[in-house]
Amino acid sequence: MSLSRSSFLLRTLILLLLGLVALASVVVTNVWLVQRTQDYVTEVTQLRRLRAAGVDLRSRLQDAETGQRGFLITDDPAYLQPYDDALANLGSYMDRLRKAAEVRPDLRPQVDQLALTIDARLGELRQTVDLARQGQRQAAIDIVREDRGKELMDQARTILQNIVSEAEDDLGRLGVAQGESANALWWVSVLGGLFVVFITLIGLLTILSYLRQLAATRQEVDALNVNLEERVRERTAELGRANEEIQRFAYIVTHDLRAPLVNIMGFTAELEQGVATLQSFVSYAGERVAGPDYEAAKLAAQEDLPEALGFIRSSTRKMDGLINAILKLSREGRRALKPERIELPGLIENAVAAIAHQVSEAEGEVALNVKVPALVGDRLSLEQIIGNLLDNAVKYRRRDIPLRIRVQAVARPGGLVNISIEDNGRGIDVRDHERVFELFRRSGQQDQPGEGIGLAHVRAMARNLGGDITLNSTFGEGSIFTLTVPAQLRATTRSMAA
Amino acid sequence: MSENAKSVTIIMIEDDEGHARLIEKNIRRAGVNNEIVPFASGTEALTFLFGPDGSGDISAGRSLLILLDLNLPDMTGIEILEKVKANPHTRRTPVVVLTTTDDTREIQRCYDLGANVYITKPVNYEGFANAIRQLGLFFSVMQVPETA
Repeated sequence: MSLSRSSFLLRTLILLLLGLVALASVVVTNVWLVQRTQDYVTEVTQLRRLRAAGVDLRSRLQDAETGQRGFLITDDPAYLQPYDDALANLGSYMDRLRKAAEVRPDLRPQVDQLALTIDARLGELRQTVDLARQGQRQAAIDIVREDRGKELMDQARTILQNIVSEAEDDLGRLGVAQGESANALWWVSVLGGLFVVFITLIGLLTILSYLRQLAATRQEVDALNVNLEERVRERTAELGRANEEIQRFAYIVTHDLRAPLVNIMGFTAELEQGVATLQSFVSYAGERVAGPDYEAAKLAAQEDLPEALGFIRSSTRKMDGLINAILKLSREGRRALKPERIELPGLIENAVAAIAHQVSEAEGEVALNVKVPALVGDRLSLEQIIGNLLDNAVKYRRRDIPLRIRVQAVARPGGLVNISIEDNGRGIDVRDHERVFELFRRSGQQDQPGEGIGLAHVRAMARNLGGDITLNSTFGEGSIFTLTVPAQLRATTRSMAA
Repeated sequence: MSENAKSVTIIMIEDDEGHARLIEKNIRRAGVNNEIVPFASGTEALTFLFGPDGSGDISAGRSLLILLDLNLPDMTGIEILEKVKANPHTRRTPVVVLTTTDDTREIQRCYDLGANVYITKPVNYEGFANAIRQLGLFFSVMQVPETA
């Protein structure tokens, strides 16, 4: 299974959300179910109270009746005790029932009916008991025999029975509902839990597979890295060989170019001698052989030939200069670098001292700000580079303002050192920034002697040191040449080109 | 110029005809009138020096001075130098290496092999002519042994 980073994130996020939603719904359902159970419990309590109130009321009624019957039969007031107790308490029992019956408002008419019936029944009881107390026992018994009391009692009993059974029915119903609710709670918890566990497992599997994939990728990267280092080494060696070949090529070419040039210059010199002989002959012979042929020969000997020879000479001299420049560069490339500890401030001060005379002539000054005490490098290369750049700063200064040169050296991250040489000279047009580093190329007004090899040489040396040189310049305002070299010249840099 | 110097033959091994001509001219200008035998290839020069059989017997009793260019079309001057210095008949013959190569290792190698003088051809003609003329003056005072 292959997972991209984004699809992995999306998947885990979705799984997390799913788990969260499942968990939340389980919690919400549980809370709701528990709330419902609590409601059931309250209701059950109320219904129990109602049932108990009904049963109690019935007992008290029976107590009152029992007391009346005992008294009527025995005429002994001691039997009236249950009657008196019931009579004293019936009111409060009735209130309890009424209150408890609020849970079932539909029972209210029955409760009212019951109250009336009980009142009537109590009236009958009180009447008979009063009669018996006054000694008219027979009259009381007659009233009892009328069966009105029994009817009332039966009515009350029926109503009470009805209320109690209603309460019992409700209790049964509630019991079932409570069971269902508990069941639902169980199912919701178990299923929700299972779902969360399932989601967690899937999430774990996803993470595991992603981790495995990461580990595999990492191994691959490590392998590639090893490979890469190997390839870099190979390429470096190849580059070194190519560089060596170029150096050899330049060296051989310059030497082979020299040979014909020696001939051209040599025979030009011979020709010049020949022309000199001719010239003296022409001027000497002029007195004797006049005529158009003579004039033509004279013109050739005195003007055309010397002119042609002059051009040949200047061209060969120029070519000689170019060949020498290439030779110098190729020699620099072949020179073995000698890494040594160099006190940078001292080296820069020496280089500045070398141009001090010209600077004071130009009424200029040189500011130094060298923050790198020392580095390991090739002294000759550094001296030549810095010297060359300082020479340029003096050579291409503006004549209308005093010369200002600033030399700075700072350490840079990565074990590098930046040496910058800033001047307020004539500057270099931005389109020539790369060109000035090319061999035989120059920029700007050509009023200074030179062959266009200085900066090419500087760049070749800088790169030989494992560094480079960059230019930042505005035409008419000045230039900043920044040389970047490693603080520790490594022997390996050299082995490439040597 | 001594009697000895007069009889010395200068063997010039130089493939560039122009150089050969300029060298000859300038040697003559220095007043050296010895016979100069030019060779444009290494093979011809070797045949002259060591004979068709390559033994070198042919050079017995000759008084020779060799002017040698290192860059030849058919072999390097180093090879010729090696052969000359290895052959009993020619090993005492002075060899002047005259070439454009100024590589330090090359120069050392030539001296190690027994070259007597190593001269780099200067690029500018004045320098070149001057060097050759001085070489000519040097020839005129130099004693060359007869080969064994």
